[in-house]
Amino acid sequence: MASKATRRPVSVWLPRLLASAVAIGSGIAGTGTAVQTLDATLQPIAKVSVPSSLSLTTIAGEFAAFTGSLTVSYRARTTASGGGTITIEVSSDFSPSGGPSAAAAGLTYTCSGASLGTACTGTQTASTTAQTPVVTLPTSACTGGGGACSSSDPATVSVNFSLANSPTYSTGSYSAQVILRISAT
Amino acid sequence: MRRSGYFSLLRGCLLLGLAGAARAQFASTGTTTLSVTVAADAGLQVNTATTTMTASGTAFSGSYTGTTSLTYKIRTTSSTGSGTITLKVTSDFSPAGGPSVLSPPTAGDTLTYTCTLTSPGTGCSGSQTASTTSSTSVGTFGAGAKSASGGNTGSVAWTLTNDPSYTTGTYSATVTFTISAT
Repeated sequence: MASKATRRPVSVWLPRLLASAVAIGSGIAGTGTAVQTLDATLQPIAKVSVPSSLSLTTIAGEFAAFTGSLTVSYRARTTASGGGTITIEVSSDFSPSGGPSAAAAGLTYTCSGASLGTACTGTQTASTTAQTPVVTLPTSACTGGGGACSSSDPATVSVNFSLANSPTYSTGSYSAQVILRISAT
Repeated sequence: MRRSGYFSLLRGCLLLGLAGAARAQFASTGTTTLSVTVAADAGLQVNTATTTMTASGTAFSGSYTGTTSLTYKIRTTSSTGSGTITLKVTSDFSPAGGPSVLSPPTAGDTLTYTCTLTSPGTGCSGSQTASTTSSTSVGTFGAGAKSASGGNTGSVAWTLTNDPSYTTGTYSATVTFTISAT
């Protein structure tokens, strides 16, 4: 059976609508206090970033060592009882054969300008079998913002490589891979 | 105005792209490839800063002789390279009145030398006459020549005519050695 919609007069629905609007408005305009506790547990963490390649160059005529400087960028946060390190290791020695060799103690480096932590001291010999130091991170270290943290974000350190230039090397192009590891506790 | 809007949008996209490209990748490890090009190279050191030449024999029977030692380092290109050591009298004997390489008081007066080079070098053959106007050979190197890390040695044995016409006194000349490698 067909039914015909009943149209209510404005005098009925308009007051109801206004009343509802006022009620909602009262709810919005009202004030209240809610306390929400946010807990964040910040774990020690560290990340490192390096350029994908570095060319070592020399001055012709002097058999001076091949040199090059690598800028290592890093971010780190250590605990009040922890610390951290950045180390370097030759993961793949120079190839092809006939040229320089890190295994033969031909690759050394110094560290300078660590903006967070302490750079390695003296001349280090890069190894193909062991990690050698680049930066030592202190306790309660954090990156960026200044104050108790480093002033720069990311922090940086320069690793200045020196590769022996022996007349016994055959002419040609050689490459090696070094891996930098960072850790924080 | 619309064009300006497009340019702003394009510029924004470019900046975002550049920012993304420049963003360093941080991880617990990072790897870098160290590359080096080992080229032909050479260098030498004259170990005898001043070579004193003395006359042997009496009554002008012997010439003035002396020996200059040197250490060389060299690396020539494999299969196609070569190298040389040469010398040149860059400053003739002085003061005047004594021996001279360029203008000796007597025709036939000469400053000559013989050479000795340890392998991989080959010393000059026979007796060479030093010159103030051109470089003369001390030794040569073939392709793929590689000296020892600390270098190899060589020497030049000098002979200077002892001419009675020389005024007594002390005379000195400067000789420059040059090494090259390809």
